[in-house]
Amino acid sequence: MSRQAFPLKDLTRRRFQTSFTILGLTTSVATTVFLLTFGDALGFEISRVATGRLTTGFYNVFSRFIFIIGVLNVVVGALMVAFLMFLAMSDRARDIGIMKAVGCLTEVASEYFMMELSIIVFVSCAAGTVLGILAYFVGIHSLNLFGFPIPLKPLNTWMIILVFVAFVFTSHVFGAQPVVKAIGMAPVEAFSPLHGWRTTFKKTQPSSSKKGFGFTLKIAYRSLSRRKSATYRAIACLTAVLTLTSVALLGGVIANQTTQSYVERAIGTDIVLVANPSVSKQYTSFLQRFFNETEVEPIDYLDPEFRIPESLISRMRPMPGILEVDPRLVLEATAYEVPGVIIDPEEQGNYFIVGDHRSAKALIVGVEPKSIVNEWLVFGRVLDEADSSVVVIGDSLALQVFAEPLKESVRIFGRNLGIVGVCLDPLSNGNVVYVPMKTLSTMLNQFCYNALLLKIDPSKRSQVLKEITNEASGIGLEALELNGVLAKHLDFLDRTWSFAMFLPLLSLLTATLCLLSYVMLSITDQQREFAVMRALGAKPRNIMKIVFTEALVITSISAAIGISAALLVTFMFLIPEPVISPYTLIFTGGGMILALSLLCLSSLYPAIKVVRASIADALSKPS
Amino acid sequence: MRVMKAKKMREVVVSASSLRKEYRLGDLTIEALKSVSLEVLEGEFVSVHGPSGAGKTTLLNIIGGLDKPTDGKIIVFSHDLTEYDEDFLATFRCAYVGFVFQSYNLISTLTTVENIAFPMELAQWPQERIGKRSEELLKLAGLSHRADHFPSQLSGGEQQRTAFARALANDPPLLLADEPTGNLDLETGLEIVHIMGKLKAMGKTVIVATHDERIMKLADRTPCLRDGRLVA
Repeated sequence: MSRQAFPLKDLTRRRFQTSFTILGLTTSVATTVFLLTFGDALGFEISRVATGRLTTGFYNVFSRFIFIIGVLNVVVGALMVAFLMFLAMSDRARDIGIMKAVGCLTEVASEYFMMELSIIVFVSCAAGTVLGILAYFVGIHSLNLFGFPIPLKPLNTWMIILVFVAFVFTSHVFGAQPVVKAIGMAPVEAFSPLHGWRTTFKKTQPSSSKKGFGFTLKIAYRSLSRRKSATYRAIACLTAVLTLTSVALLGGVIANQTTQSYVERAIGTDIVLVANPSVSKQYTSFLQRFFNETEVEPIDYLDPEFRIPESLISRMRPMPGILEVDPRLVLEATAYEVPGVIIDPEEQGNYFIVGDHRSAKALIVGVEPKSIVNEWLVFGRVLDEADSSVVVIGDSLALQVFAEPLKESVRIFGRNLGIVGVCLDPLSNGNVVYVPMKTLSTMLNQFCYNALLLKIDPSKRSQVLKEITNEASGIGLEALELNGVLAKHLDFLDRTWSFAMFLPLLSLLTATLCLLSYVMLSITDQQREFAVMRALGAKPRNIMKIVFTEALVITSISAAIGISAALLVTFMFLIPEPVISPYTLIFTGGGMILALSLLCLSSLYPAIKVVRASIADALSKPS
Repeated sequence: MRVMKAKKMREVVVSASSLRKEYRLGDLTIEALKSVSLEVLEGEFVSVHGPSGAGKTTLLNIIGGLDKPTDGKIIVFSHDLTEYDEDFLATFRCAYVGFVFQSYNLISTLTTVENIAFPMELAQWPQERIGKRSEELLKLAGLSHRADHFPSQLSGGEQQRTAFARALANDPPLLLADEPTGNLDLETGLEIVHIMGKLKAMGKTVIVATHDERIMKLADRTPCLRDGRLVA
C-alpha cells in the first residue's frame, strides 16, 4: 500500500474519530480567525494591549476580552489536537504493534501516522480559516444591516497567515507526541492491555458500594481512575474549553453590562440638551462618534448667536422637575502633550522625562465642576470647585497622545494645564478635555456658554420637557432629550457584545466535541465490557448511568476548575469596576448550568448507540 | 428403568424448537442455525460439540437471551425469550443464567473479587451477603490469594476460574459455557474440567459448547451441531 493510501484509508475508515478531530480543530481555528479579524475591524487592535499604556476604557475591555479569548482559543486548539491525537493514537497502538510485528519498519509506520496527523491538521486549519473569514464578513454585514456602519476593512492577510501557521505548528508539536510515543513502543507493549489509556496496575481507593447509584459510581470511578492518562487529558482539555466558555459567557455578559453602565454614567440618564440647533447637531454628532465614525465640520463655537443667555440659566435653576443645570462651553482645539518629569525615588537628584510632544484635535469643554451631570468612570479624580489650572481628559486622548497622562500636562490655547483624571467618555469618542469654566474663560478672554445640559426628574418628564422647550424656543434654541442618543449607544454596545457572545456557543461546541470524543472513544474501548455487563444482567439504563456518570465526573471537575479560573480572569484582568446585577448572575449561572447539562447529556448519544447494539455482536468482536 | 423414571420427573428447563438464525453481511445472508430443536432437563449436563462456525455460540447466545432467533421458539424456565424486551432479558439473565465465555470476558477495571461480586451488585444483594458469597466463590475457584488482583495480572486459568466464580455468583439454575477451555493449555484446562465436575455434582443444569473431550466425558448428552443443524 502506498504511503499516501494507508493514511487516507485509515482516516476514512475511522470516520467518527476523524470527523471529531477535524471538527474540534476547525472550530478552534475558525473562532480565533473570526475574533482577530472582527476585533481588528472594530478598531481594537490586539497588539496595543500588550503595551499596557492605559489599562482602561471600552477599548481595553473589549480588546482584553478578545486577547484573552484569543489566547485561550489557541491553548484550547493545541490541547484539543493533543488530546484527540492521543486518543486516536492510543486506539491505533495495537495496529502499530501488529504492523511492526509483521515487519513494518518504524520509519514507515511513523510516516504513515505523521501523514495522518498532517492531513488532519491541514484540512482543519484550512477549513477553520475559511470559516473564520466567512464569519467575519457575516458579522460586519450584519452590524451594518442593524444600522451600525462598520467599514469592511481589507483582511489582514499576515495576521490570518500567522494564525494558520501557529495552529499548524502547535498542532504538529502536540499531535506528534502521542504518535512518536506509539511508534516507539515495542510490539509486545502495544499488544498489552495495560498500554496507554487502558488499565493500570495502580490501586485506587475503594469506593463505597451501595445500592443504586453508589454501584454505578463505583464502576464509573474505577473506569476513570484506571484510565488515568486519558482521564487527566480529558479533564485538562475540558477545563481549558470550559474556562474559555465561562470567560466568553461570564466575561462577555459582565463586560457588556459594565461597558453599558460606563456609557450610561458618562452620558447620563434623563439629560436634556439645550442649545442652538447648530451646536445641538454638533454636540450629538460628537456623541455619536462612539459608534459612527463620521467627520464633523467645525463651526465657530464662539459665535454670539450660539450663546446661552445667563437669564435662561437663572430661570432653569429653580424650575420644578429640573434636578441639575450644567452649563458648558464647547469648542474644538488642538491639545498638545507636555512631557512630565518624574523624580527617581531611588536616586536623589535623578529624574525621568515621560512623554513626547504629540498633539491631537480634541473637543474642549468648559464646565462648572460643581454641576457636572456626568458620572464617568475616572482614573485619577474629577474636577472640583477649587481647581483652576487642571483638566480631566477623555480616555482616547490619553491613549493616543500621552504616555503617562496623570504625570503629564496638556497645552491648549497656549496654556499648560495639569491632568488630574482620565475619564471614560463617549463624547468625541474620548478625544475630549474638560476644563474648569473660569480657567477656560480666562484663556479665551470671554465668559459664555453655548450648551446647557439639564438633568430632569423622569417622573415629571413630559411636563418639564414642555416647559424647557417653551423657554428655549422663545430665544431660538432647541431642547433635545439625550435618552435617544444614549439608547443608540447602548444598542451599539449590546450588538457588538452580542457578536462576541457567539464565542460561548463556539467554545461550547468545542467542549461538546471534546467530551463526545472522549466518551465515544472510551465507549469503543469498553464496548466489549459493556456487552459483558449486559450479558451478566446489567440493564441498558445501568450502562447509560455508568457512561453518564463518567461524563458527569469529568465535566464537574473540569467545570469547577474552569469556572474558577474564568472568574479569576474576568475580575482580575478583564474588567475594572465590574457591574454585576442579579440578572447577570441568573443569566450567566443559568447559561452555564444549561451548557454543562447539555454537555453531560451529549454523552448519552454514544451510550444509547452502545446499548442498542447487539450483545452477541459486541462479544464476537476481538478484544 | 429407575433412571428413566427420574429423568421423566425432571422439568424441561430449556426448550428450543425449530430455531433459525440468519445474519446479514451486506448482500450476503448467513444462516447460522437451521431449524434447531433441543430440550434440556433440569440438572442435565449437555455438551454441544461441532466444528468451528457450526453455530454453537449462536445457540448458546439464544438460550441465554443474548440474541434473538430469526424464527422458532426458545423457552427457558417457562419464559418465551422471543417475547421480552431488553430490560426483562437483563433481569432474566441476572437471575437465571450464568455465562462463561471462551475469552473470559472479565471487566478489566474491576479486581477478581469485584468481578465475582458484579452480578450480585446488579441483583442488589445486601453488601454483607455479597461479601460472604464472594469469599465462598473465591475459595471454590481457588482464588482467595488473588482477590485484589486485576484481570491483567491473572493467568489464563485464573481468569477463567474467576469467570466461573462470577457465573455462579447469583446461584443461577442454568450455566452456559462457551468453549471454556478453548484458550487454555491442557494442564490449565484440567482445572476448569474439575470445576465443571463439581458443578455436575452440585446438580446444576449446564450447557457447554466444547471440543474438549474431558468435558464431553462429563456430559449426560453430547449433541453435535454441524452446519447449523443438530445431527446427533
